[in-house]
Amino acid sequence: MSTVTWITARGLFGRSRFLMLLPLPLILVGLAVLCRALGVDPGQWGPPVLVGLGLAVVLPVVALIVGTGVLGAEIDDGTVVHILTKPLPRWQIVLPKLAVAAGVSAVTVGVPIYVAGVLADSVRLGLALVAASAAGALAYSALFLALSLVTRRPVLLGLVYVLIWEGLLGRFVTGTRVLSIQQWVIALADRMAPTPLLGTTVSVPVAAVLTGLVAVGFTVLAIDRLRSFSVAGETS
Amino acid sequence: MSDATGVIHDIGYQRYTGPRLGRRQVFGALYGHGVRTVFGLGRSAKAKIFPWLVVAVVTVVAAGLTAVRSQIGEVVMTYAQFADAMSWLVIFFVAVAAPELVSRDLRSGVLPLYFSRPLPRGDYALAKLLALGTALWLLLGGPQLVMFLGAAFTTSRGLRGVWDELLDLLPGLLYAGLWAVVFASIGLLVASLTGKRAFAAGGIVAVFLMTAPVVGVLSIMPSRTVNELAFLASPSTLVGGVGNWALGDRLTQGRGGMPIGDFGPVYAVVAVLLVAACVSLLLLRYRKVAAR
Repeated sequence: MSTVTWITARGLFGRSRFLMLLPLPLILVGLAVLCRALGVDPGQWGPPVLVGLGLAVVLPVVALIVGTGVLGAEIDDGTVVHILTKPLPRWQIVLPKLAVAAGVSAVTVGVPIYVAGVLADSVRLGLALVAASAAGALAYSALFLALSLVTRRPVLLGLVYVLIWEGLLGRFVTGTRVLSIQQWVIALADRMAPTPLLGTTVSVPVAAVLTGLVAVGFTVLAIDRLRSFSVAGETS
Repeated sequence: MSDATGVIHDIGYQRYTGPRLGRRQVFGALYGHGVRTVFGLGRSAKAKIFPWLVVAVVTVVAAGLTAVRSQIGEVVMTYAQFADAMSWLVIFFVAVAAPELVSRDLRSGVLPLYFSRPLPRGDYALAKLLALGTALWLLLGGPQLVMFLGAAFTTSRGLRGVWDELLDLLPGLLYAGLWAVVFASIGLLVASLTGKRAFAAGGIVAVFLMTAPVVGVLSIMPSRTVNELAFLASPSTLVGGVGNWALGDRLTQGRGGMPIGDFGPVYAVVAVLLVAACVSLLLLRYRKVAAR
């Protein structure tokens, strides 16, 4: 475990604001348990809880906060200089940070969505959701990590993607779903555990290839951006 | 003891003898500055990108609706439904604006400078809240005015048609005000908890987004009462419920409202309590921040 990994993990967990992430998974589990306890038909509560809350809100929002936080927070307060001046190749900075971000998001989302998946259908659905959301967490984290190097306002740009592209356009303009990480995650989970609870228009090979492309492409972009990175003050 | 060699020069310092403005002017200045901050006026081009992006989108949608209506002659969306349809953009706008208003001041530690003026603790928070509320109301009300103008100039029933249209617009503007108050108070409270704009924006979106699926789940519960009270769980549906009850048919014009049953007054009470709770927490928060 490299020092960068350790520093990043400590930067994430060492503050009390990490607790801000907890309510999201708790609500997800709470709703699933509530529905199960009251005996509501899983066919009815599955889609709003698993997709509407789990894959469409908890996964992107957690990945956004963590993914832009691992590097963005250091850029914001200027301490990134301390890492950049060390004789480290840039990929040895980006990859550990990406690993921490993706790992934390995958665990934060994976545990509650596994519980919800098991309660909704079966252990198989739970495991499929965990695997798919881990792939999604990697893709989201790579995207948001690269965003925090490309622009000075990564969270807002990430919100534009999550809220407007995936949320608003994905709902009304079905064509944009082909380029939406959320839909790829749904497609992958549906392939691993076919249930009527999950449904998407994106085909599985497309989803798998694009998820890999986004994860690799944005990581390469982040490494390249960090190569010629200039530290500037906070935007006015 | 030698003579003093130093001289005190009179370099013309003068006391300020003009009028000293009081609390109201400080409040007014803070409010005016807040509204300008939200839209990025008087700041760099980068600060204008996101607010004006949202403004452009809502205006284009309103213009599109007006054009469709004048061509087909059919109302696609009433004024109030326009506010509902724009809810995601309103959430995004709050996530952009609220951190700009309060988180920057927290982070750069200028609050002691503010509070060294004749400015009570609460006034700072209330001025910011009022500024955000005004900005949100302008964001939702402006496009409605565009829709009204479009409808008024294409009406075929003369002044009578314009008057009817105005009667439709006014509840819409009132409803937009309700949206503004609820969203501004929640958003500003969340933003005032952290000095990091990035975290504040994420937190605001998380609060608004995670409540929406709760409504979806509660409305399929096997109990009619729970179903009818389900819309209390999310700020945007809460506002919808209040509007449904208070403005009724005027709001939806018979295009299907929310099934809230007879619980309309409950929605109104909860909305008032929610806003009151958010505002008092905000004031408490600033009492603590100021004491630091």
